[in-house]
Amino acid sequence: MAELGGGRGDGGDKAREEFFSEAQEIVDGLSRDLLLLDQVVKRGSSDPELVNDVFRAVHTMKGLSGLFGATMMSGLSHELEDLLDDLRLGRIELTDQVLDLLFQSVELYGRILSSVKGDGPEPANEVKALLVKLGQVSPQRDGGGTSFHAKYELDPSLLGVLTEYEEHRLRANIQSGLSLYRVHVQFSLATIDSALDELKARARPHGEIITYLPTGAGGDIETIELEILLASREPLELLQQAIYGPNISISEVRRRDEPSGSLMPPPPGLEARLAVPSSLPAPADVGADADWQKKQRATVPPQQQPPSLAPMAAASPGGRDQSLRSISQTVRVDIRKLDHLMNIVGELAIVRTMMLRLTERARGKSEWRDLAVELQRVHRAFDRHLMQMQNGILEVRMVPLGQVFDKLARIVRQISREHDKQVNLVITGAETEIDKLIVEELSDPLMHMMRNAIDHGIESREERMRVGKPPIGTIALNAFQKGNHVVLEVEDDGAGMDPAVILRAAVRLGLTDAEGAQNLSTREILAFVFAPGFTTKEGVTSLSGRGVGMDIVKTNISALGGIVDIGSDLGIGTRITVTLPITLAIISVLALEVSGRMYCMPLASVEEAITLDESQVRLVEGREVMTVRGATLPICRLFKIFGHEPPAADQQKRFVVIAKVGSRRLGFVVDRLVGQQDIVIKALGKTLKSVRGFAGATELGDQRVGLVLDAASLINEVLASIGESRMPVGIGQIDIPSRVHRLSPGGDAE
Amino acid sequence: VKALAPRKGEGRSAMQRADELGKRAEYLAFVLGPEAYAIQIGNIVEILKPLPITEVPRADQGVVGVMSVRGRLCTVIDLKRRFRLTRSFTMDKKSRILLVDVDGEEIGILVDEVLQVYRLSEGEVEPPTVLGTEQPPYVVGIGRPIGGAVLLLLDLSPLFMD
Repeated sequence: MAELGGGRGDGGDKAREEFFSEAQEIVDGLSRDLLLLDQVVKRGSSDPELVNDVFRAVHTMKGLSGLFGATMMSGLSHELEDLLDDLRLGRIELTDQVLDLLFQSVELYGRILSSVKGDGPEPANEVKALLVKLGQVSPQRDGGGTSFHAKYELDPSLLGVLTEYEEHRLRANIQSGLSLYRVHVQFSLATIDSALDELKARARPHGEIITYLPTGAGGDIETIELEILLASREPLELLQQAIYGPNISISEVRRRDEPSGSLMPPPPGLEARLAVPSSLPAPADVGADADWQKKQRATVPPQQQPPSLAPMAAASPGGRDQSLRSISQTVRVDIRKLDHLMNIVGELAIVRTMMLRLTERARGKSEWRDLAVELQRVHRAFDRHLMQMQNGILEVRMVPLGQVFDKLARIVRQISREHDKQVNLVITGAETEIDKLIVEELSDPLMHMMRNAIDHGIESREERMRVGKPPIGTIALNAFQKGNHVVLEVEDDGAGMDPAVILRAAVRLGLTDAEGAQNLSTREILAFVFAPGFTTKEGVTSLSGRGVGMDIVKTNISALGGIVDIGSDLGIGTRITVTLPITLAIISVLALEVSGRMYCMPLASVEEAITLDESQVRLVEGREVMTVRGATLPICRLFKIFGHEPPAADQQKRFVVIAKVGSRRLGFVVDRLVGQQDIVIKALGKTLKSVRGFAGATELGDQRVGLVLDAASLINEVLASIGESRMPVGIGQIDIPSRVHRLSPGGDAE
Repeated sequence: VKALAPRKGEGRSAMQRADELGKRAEYLAFVLGPEAYAIQIGNIVEILKPLPITEVPRADQGVVGVMSVRGRLCTVIDLKRRFRLTRSFTMDKKSRILLVDVDGEEIGILVDEVLQVYRLSEGEVEPPTVLGTEQPPYVVGIGRPIGGAVLLLLDLSPLFMD
């Protein structure tokens, strides 16, 4: 049968995967850089290096997408590259409109990527529209002429070889009143790469390197002399202290109109340099690569060319141009590989249990005592290392929440511009780490929350002024770790929600009746916004729409095993708190037995387990309830909803596992409590996706599979109502559509 | 699977032979109740001896449950129940679980017995319409290999489409 297995996966797929992850990284990096750029522009300053970074990232994207035949993406990159080139050459100004276009492009990149992956429609029309807009941004030619540097004692032959970009930077620096310095440096040819990088890094905090060219001098064939043109605000003495070295000399380029006693001699060997043909390409409208290549040809031995696809996005905004060495220490790993490793850990955990059983058996016999002690020791060591391995893998799966926050910041900017509201997004705790899979699922719910906060929370500028709030609204996004959970808070300083309005809407929608409404706490009333289809729109107030999409938030967060809570003070603001498990890979469960079958209930939803006292069970409106410590608890017999045969009547003792999700509680009647276990949870296949009530399955040892109950969905199904156990009447019509399940004829699979 | 590429120097006739061989498709034949069925071999991942299967409450009729194959979770289907041949399945020592790739998902199919691999040429496959015009979409043809066997050729994808 060996030939049936077949080879799976091929090189092409792998390359595609690489493409996706690399492109995604570029998109993420672009997004970060644009946000930084946005801040820079808001401050009224500029950051040419950042513009360059963006330009290079787009350039890389163009090459990458061309390589993989992603024509839409390379087309967009091409236009974008032109725009960015104009930007960095100062032909156009970085206005809010231009920034908008850039943000839109990044957003479209993301959508094109997912459409290439097959996750969504191709945004062909949007791209077309954007391309038109990009084309409309026309550069205004800089009328500055060349007279600006005539005042400086710069060699005309040097000026002749500046690229357009370098010329622009030179002009910009002179215009902002910086001084020019000439740095002469000798490098050994063998180490020029790293030495030059080091020098650049040292010079960067003090000024901007405009260009560097070999002088042609330098004594022997082993060394090369470079002339570096540096613009800086700092005096010569300070620069000499900062950039020192055995073969470095710095001098100021004097202004011609300055009275000066000692004229600098012209740099030695300029003529000689001009004789080197390949180092002097015609100055033309060339992109960064051309700049770069020129320098490569001029200064670097060909065998030392760095890779052309620089992993830009990997560099943090603060630490641009990290050395290649530090980048190579990180690896990109497909999350599925980690899942696979986690599965192996799960299987090792089963081995551990078997080992424990063996140890116990050995201990039972006196002649095996020594062996048992030995086994015990081995077991303990195994246990310890397994734990370390499990934690290690979990750690690798963790990514900072900043990944999704960056995306949000972009969305907030976009939405607030759409609504013409000014909003400040204040993020804390972006470094908080959480499972990669959770991060992926978080962007949608968080986006809905942001949209709600801006759309309905933050008031208009005029309204804010009228009530004495600062004209710019604030949305605080806080993240922090709390035990095994991560808490996310979205807090706005907007108008808040009016419980009276929500209650009216809830009554109108039949979520509760006037009588039931009497007993509801504010928190319970606010929870109505999570009901599917909840809206206050037809109401008489201006507080419309708040809550649209909130059921999606709740559903998505629940699917991740999380809890959403909402609090609001009228006129002061709204705070939504999301509590999430730190990882989905391993969960603690309570194993239990129903009609001879094993099930697992996630411990996160278990409040307590108590013995069932049948005499306490009452029927209320056709539902079984019992009283636990004075409170009514609806109960559900799992064997009934699962269609299993009823347990033997003579069974003396049964248990109630009280599960709580959000504010709703339900008691599940089970036959036996087996115990607590840490399990690796696996999703059920597509074929079973319509089956409700299960979060997945896990291997229990002895090759058997145990189903993991989805407490939230079971509670939803059984209670079929929002609100708490008081079960208001007339609630049927707003129930999450209760699908009818065909009960399979039980027990014939043996 | 033997290499079908013609060897150098065997000339045109070898090429033709290879062409003809290339048109043959390989099927794995198995028994379900009274009938013999066959599935294209490319879709079969593995043939397994019976494993413990965990029942999934409230799943569709025809779903036996889930099993774990070396750490991978797979749904197990009883085609007999699905085709309404019988109401329940009994496992014996000839029973096997075919692990089949259906549109990217590995699904276990309970079968009474695995027969053999047939290499069917185009001439040995009849359209399903010979059994009548209204055939379910998962029956893609009738295999009539030399030797007299009659195989219902199945494509499982339509069975799992919603």
